Amino acid sequence: MNLIIKSATIIDKTSEHHGSQKDILIENGVITQIATSLENSQNYETISLENLHISQGWFDSSVSLGEPGFEERETIENGLKTAAKSGFTAIAVNPNAHPIADTKADISYLKSKAFGNIVDLHPIGALTNASKSVDLAEVFDMKNAGAVAFGDYQKAVKNPNLLKIALLYADNFDGLVLSFPQEDDIVGKGIVNEGYNSTRLGLKGMPSLAEELHVARDLFLLEYTKGKLHIPTISTAKSVELIRKAKAKGLNVSCSVAIHNLVLTDDELEGFDTNYKVLPPLRTENDRKALIAGIEDGTIDMVTSDHNPIDVEHKKVEFDNALYGTIGLESAFGALQTIFDTETTIKMLSAGKERFGVETSAIAVGQTVNLTLFNPEGSYTFSNEHIHSSSQNSAFLGKKLKGSVYGIVHKNQKLIS
Amino acid sequence: MSELSVNHLLGIKYLNEKDIQLIFETADQFKEVINRPIKKVPSLRDITIANLFFENSTRTKLSFELAEKRLSADVINFSASQSSVKKGETLIDTVNNILSMKVDMVVMRHPNPGAGVFLSKHVNASIVNAGDGAHEHPTQALLDSYSIREKLGDVAGKNVVIVGDILHSRVALSNIFALKLQGANVKVCGPKTLLPTYIESLGVGVETNLRKALEWCDVANMLRVQNERLDISYFPSTREYTQLFGVNKALLDSLSKEIVIMHPGPINRGVEITSDVADSKQSIILNQVENGVAIRMAVIYLLAAKIKQ
Repeated sequence: MNLIIKSATIIDKTSEHHGSQKDILIENGVITQIATSLENSQNYETISLENLHISQGWFDSSVSLGEPGFEERETIENGLKTAAKSGFTAIAVNPNAHPIADTKADISYLKSKAFGNIVDLHPIGALTNASKSVDLAEVFDMKNAGAVAFGDYQKAVKNPNLLKIALLYADNFDGLVLSFPQEDDIVGKGIVNEGYNSTRLGLKGMPSLAEELHVARDLFLLEYTKGKLHIPTISTAKSVELIRKAKAKGLNVSCSVAIHNLVLTDDELEGFDTNYKVLPPLRTENDRKALIAGIEDGTIDMVTSDHNPIDVEHKKVEFDNALYGTIGLESAFGALQTIFDTETTIKMLSAGKERFGVETSAIAVGQTVNLTLFNPEGSYTFSNEHIHSSSQNSAFLGKKLKGSVYGIVHKNQKLIS
Repeated sequence: MSELSVNHLLGIKYLNEKDIQLIFETADQFKEVINRPIKKVPSLRDITIANLFFENSTRTKLSFELAEKRLSADVINFSASQSSVKKGETLIDTVNNILSMKVDMVVMRHPNPGAGVFLSKHVNASIVNAGDGAHEHPTQALLDSYSIREKLGDVAGKNVVIVGDILHSRVALSNIFALKLQGANVKVCGPKTLLPTYIESLGVGVETNLRKALEWCDVANMLRVQNERLDISYFPSTREYTQLFGVNKALLDSLSKEIVIMHPGPINRGVEITSDVADSKQSIILNQVENGVAIRMAVIYLLAAKIKQ
């Protein structure tokens, strides 16, 4: 693929061109020239878009697709297309399809289905067989097949000894272990954050305590094992504080936060709208502020859309009966821009690649092209027309977002809409 | 003519003070009607009401049905045990099927909080919430306040304590909203395991000592210990619960003033209150039941008036 991107403002703090407007020449999928103005002597295709900005391709560490098993929610093909249109050149895919990806064959299937796609699909293997939290899955075998990390999606490793063993064992091959922070017995039948809103709506609450106990436990296990732990989607102020202290101690821990937990609070529950039924639940304004502070001081390593397409049959039901989850790829950029400046937004959307062992390339001559194209300006109300996913369950429907994504140029392909 | 600010009765929290006053004034008239030799008015001859009970209920269902019949509405009854729900039909489909038979109003009891709110967004009928999980039971709270008003003249300024399992109780929640809206002072009392952690955020006091709570109050609303709703054990035994939170005659007589005893029923005699308390002159439990019919007539009548517009 040969291409000239015209007049793009480069947002990449690692690049010498950060903040400047350049033309970029791409030949056979490699950046061959960056200059203030390039002649199109070879008559290459050019991309020229309003207020065009570019950054390194974005990465999402927690994306759920339905395939195999839940194709009615989302297919791999359309899921990857959604990611591309939303600006992501790489996604880590959760092991929550059916069957759960807990073997080399499952990982190979996902890799082969996404082979040659413009978006890199990086499978996360289940940490335990069928994510039942009983026996460790064949994590090394899955790693060799292409799994980038190991965790049971939105399921806690109940037995602390099992997590201890996982952390010790995975460390043999530098494996990244994910532990979803939730103490199930404290959660009980809770489905939303326990607080003022759960009380007045009569919805069963899950206290922050359920998450924090688990985070604290996992950090003790990490200190003991000296392993490598990632805690996905933390949601409470105290979790941030616990991880901040653990990092100060030098523990090899990373964590993420879901974008909806950064932007929304449990005040949204007022109308019993099931699009706000997410796990971890939307918390309070105090938690939200602490999460933002955690991003700003580096305690929280990455953001994720925690994109989880759920078909209407499992959402257009009574709140108790709805499945957890919101889609988030399409709204990720626009939502983050409502709370951060563009530079911080881009930094967070590009973060986490190293931790997950996902290749990246700088915006520099000689590098494989891996770019996201966007316009940081312009506010709009997010509605169904902005959704590319097969499922429409977005917590951001009706919310005012800022900035839009043009698409991506990655390796030898481009998808600009 | 005065009318309600809402098209559905989904919960007390969606009403304003004027709505409550209007419901009470309307109920006053219907209470007079149901004490006549001919206890029926022709007001709703052109209205069809479906009572949908997705959860067991005897008294609430009877009370609604009687209220509807005394207003001359056509009534159909539906309960989950005889329904297609067990065959996997969704709530919206179930209700829309019934509405296709030209039903104007739905009275629904449902185990899930917010089920009425959910339904009101997806179907074209007036919805009356007859209890949705641990969310609200608005007609119960209205009849409770109405009964206090009848007994003590006014609700404003009165001290009301709600005793028992607050955590799982829609009656407690609706009562809190209704009483606060009318200017009463509210406390909750019960084992700490059955008090929601954030209950004070609703503007109510917490008192875990029953005697102190009773000394403070003008009215004690004794909730039923709903053993069937408890997924785990919140107290060691019913015996111990009764020792800490049961009201008996000796306790009642030892108080410095005469308080009013209420209970939404059905009573576990000997658990939350003893028989001599339930049957004492301080108890207005049976008045509550009678007022329930008048209140439900008022609610249905006022909502039907909005349909007719």
